[in-house]
Amino acid sequence: MGKKYDFEEKYREQILQCSRCGFCQAVCPVYGATLRPALNAKGKMLLLKEVMDGKIDLNDELIETLFQCTTCANCFQNCPSGVPVMEIIKQVRKDMVSVGSCHPAFKGMNEVLKNHTNIYGENEPEDFERERNKKAEYVYFIGCVGSYREDESTMATLNLLDRLQVDYTLIDEVCCSGVLEDVGYEINDALAAKNIDRILHTGAKTVITGCPYCYRTFNNKAQYDQLLKEGIQVTHITQFLQDFDFGITTDKLVTYHDPCDLGRHCGIYEEPRNTIRKIATNFIELPANRENALCCGAGGGVRGAYAKNSIAMARRRLDQVEEVGADIVLTECNSCVHNLANARLRKQKFRIYNTTQFINELMEEAE
Amino acid sequence: MDESIRQALIEIVGAQNYTNSLIDMVSFSYDASEHSGRPVCAVWVESAEQISKILQLANREKIPVVPRGAGTGLSGMAVPIKGGVVLDLTRMNKIVRISIEDRLAIVQPGVVYATLEKTLIPYGFFFPPDPASGKVSTLGGNVATNAGGLKGAKYGTTRDYVLGLQVVLPDGRIMKTGSKAMKSVSGYDLTRLFVGSEGTLGVVTEIILKINPKPTATSTALATFDELADAGSAINEIMYSGIIPSALEILGKETIIAINQNTDLNLPEVDAMILAEADGYTPEETDFQIKKIIAVFEKNHPKDVKLAENEKEVGELWAARKSAYGVLARIKTHFVLEDVTVPMTNIAPLLKGIQDISKKHQIQIATFGHAGDGNLHPQILYDGYDPDQVKRMEEATTDLFKLAIELDGTLTGEHGIGLSKAPFMTLEHDPVAMEIMRNVKKMFDPNNILNPGKMALEE
Repeated sequence: MGKKYDFEEKYREQILQCSRCGFCQAVCPVYGATLRPALNAKGKMLLLKEVMDGKIDLNDELIETLFQCTTCANCFQNCPSGVPVMEIIKQVRKDMVSVGSCHPAFKGMNEVLKNHTNIYGENEPEDFERERNKKAEYVYFIGCVGSYREDESTMATLNLLDRLQVDYTLIDEVCCSGVLEDVGYEINDALAAKNIDRILHTGAKTVITGCPYCYRTFNNKAQYDQLLKEGIQVTHITQFLQDFDFGITTDKLVTYHDPCDLGRHCGIYEEPRNTIRKIATNFIELPANRENALCCGAGGGVRGAYAKNSIAMARRRLDQVEEVGADIVLTECNSCVHNLANARLRKQKFRIYNTTQFINELMEEAE
Repeated sequence: MDESIRQALIEIVGAQNYTNSLIDMVSFSYDASEHSGRPVCAVWVESAEQISKILQLANREKIPVVPRGAGTGLSGMAVPIKGGVVLDLTRMNKIVRISIEDRLAIVQPGVVYATLEKTLIPYGFFFPPDPASGKVSTLGGNVATNAGGLKGAKYGTTRDYVLGLQVVLPDGRIMKTGSKAMKSVSGYDLTRLFVGSEGTLGVVTEIILKINPKPTATSTALATFDELADAGSAINEIMYSGIIPSALEILGKETIIAINQNTDLNLPEVDAMILAEADGYTPEETDFQIKKIIAVFEKNHPKDVKLAENEKEVGELWAARKSAYGVLARIKTHFVLEDVTVPMTNIAPLLKGIQDISKKHQIQIATFGHAGDGNLHPQILYDGYDPDQVKRMEEATTDLFKLAIELDGTLTGEHGIGLSKAPFMTLEHDPVAMEIMRNVKKMFDPNNILNPGKMALEE
């Protein structure tokens, strides 16, 4: 007998494997900020079990939990039963979209990307005072958040690349649209084709991404296969930087926030630390780090759809920064920088940067 | 539920702390057992005073109220089987006071075990009864179930550490039991009555806990046995040796096979594997203890005995035990995790009996558990969507409980009766004891509003 929904077809066994031990509850950032068990992975798996048992229907009443997940993967990391929560959530969101139950913010995002080049629907891209689409050894791909929300950090990154005499170019980039897959839709083929075309046009052999999500999308999604086929390597800025010598150090107490997209999703933990240890003589880990890192609350579309909870999640991460007494929080993701900076309280005197921006600032001061 | 009652609840807790939305009702319908039951609404409470008002209302209107912590229980005790209001206590999560000089911690019921543990580390102290769910489970829940854990053999269960409580009774009165003193024989021991009472007598709103200095050294050893009987004699002799291991864990053959099928640990597929840990304050002290344990192992025809030489080896020895629950959870869509407990001399007969029950009912039962206090965890694996397998699981469970009682044991060492074991209460307790328990329930809760349907209190 055919199943009513694709999620059941694909993931029935895995959903039923949830033993309701609640280990996900201990690490779920949404639960941590709300203390509402319906919002953690166990709560979500129970709803899906009841849908499969025919007790409830997949409808608007379930949006609040099924669309409120940062896809940080900490639940999966700690699940004794190995339930692939993020994959299940992504599929369920697709099923919900197909029955017409979707969070309006995500429906809006999909619509925006039909007519615009970025998730914000902005028409005036920042030009970053640099020539675009030229021939170069590297393409630097900024991403939407870096282009339209964290442009100061992006400018600093580009200045750093100049200081390091990297032969790179920007392109007329458009949203990689990977996020659409997380929120119930498909990657936008037209946008993907534009990016591929513009990257190939530069003759570059390597794309450096500023955004860990773009990095994941380019490397893992079928729509971007052509890049790999053409021999183009996609690397994240944190991997690229670890081989440089910067000739500067700081004695400030520095800590590092692992972005979920770079850490748990790509296993990149050591490269950023290698770079930071070169420049910071006083480095301290946050209480939850590497594969156990606490999410900043921005991912999975949660910042757009559930802003208040998203900020509450970021505050919990910043509490950990306060706990270790760091002066500087470094990370490698514009979304994390953006959310953490928005959540920072006036009494919290530490500063939050992408590593690139911090290094650039130190080099600038040294000159 | 009447609109007026709904409004009254909202007035007590505030609209933001009241819910009847579908997603919350589904999540509050379950714990970690096979049971479920949908509540009508739920409230997040913040104080004993709020709870008092809610219980007065519920008592007047005769509405079931089900107190709830993290919902990690394994016997259905937090499942609102008769509907009603779920009282979520997880937001009452303050550590009220830690007094190292008095060796006590005063906590609200929603404090997570791991949070207390973490808070005590800088003082060099700990709260010993550590349930496997300690990362999530709340101390209120631990009190309600009288939770145990790996360290039970040496340190006992939650009951041994609760000095006093603040409790809201079903009619709304607020009562204090016990004291902050280390010992007290002042009147009946009402504190002990509430520990393990599964939320059927009152709602615990504050807990005074005894805390211990945390031993700083441990030694760990592992032994494997081809014959169950040899493992049994080794356990008996350890009890005789004068050593009290801080952990003495056993894994049965089915569990070892399941671990091998699902990990790269490559364990010897023997009848039983025993893991022992000794704790203390110096390596000499723990070495002395572990060597005595190893000598016992060696006398009892082990296949293999290993002493962990460093942290890495300790991790390797514990890997199998720690992977057991997760590995077993993946094998079938459903499982029940039992916690029958027998005097230590009967561990080997219990393990043997479980193998026979498994064969008789043609159902997979993997066993591991705490040999040091006679508490085994047979995990019965089945497909809950197959009526035949469900039937065989139920028959096997019945046989298992009968066996535990025959071996002078108990239905439950640390998970509680809840719904799962309610039908078997009379196997263990004589008619007089059942009548007294039911009378106690009636005295506290004449209208049967608090967590009704649990512990066979209604027959």
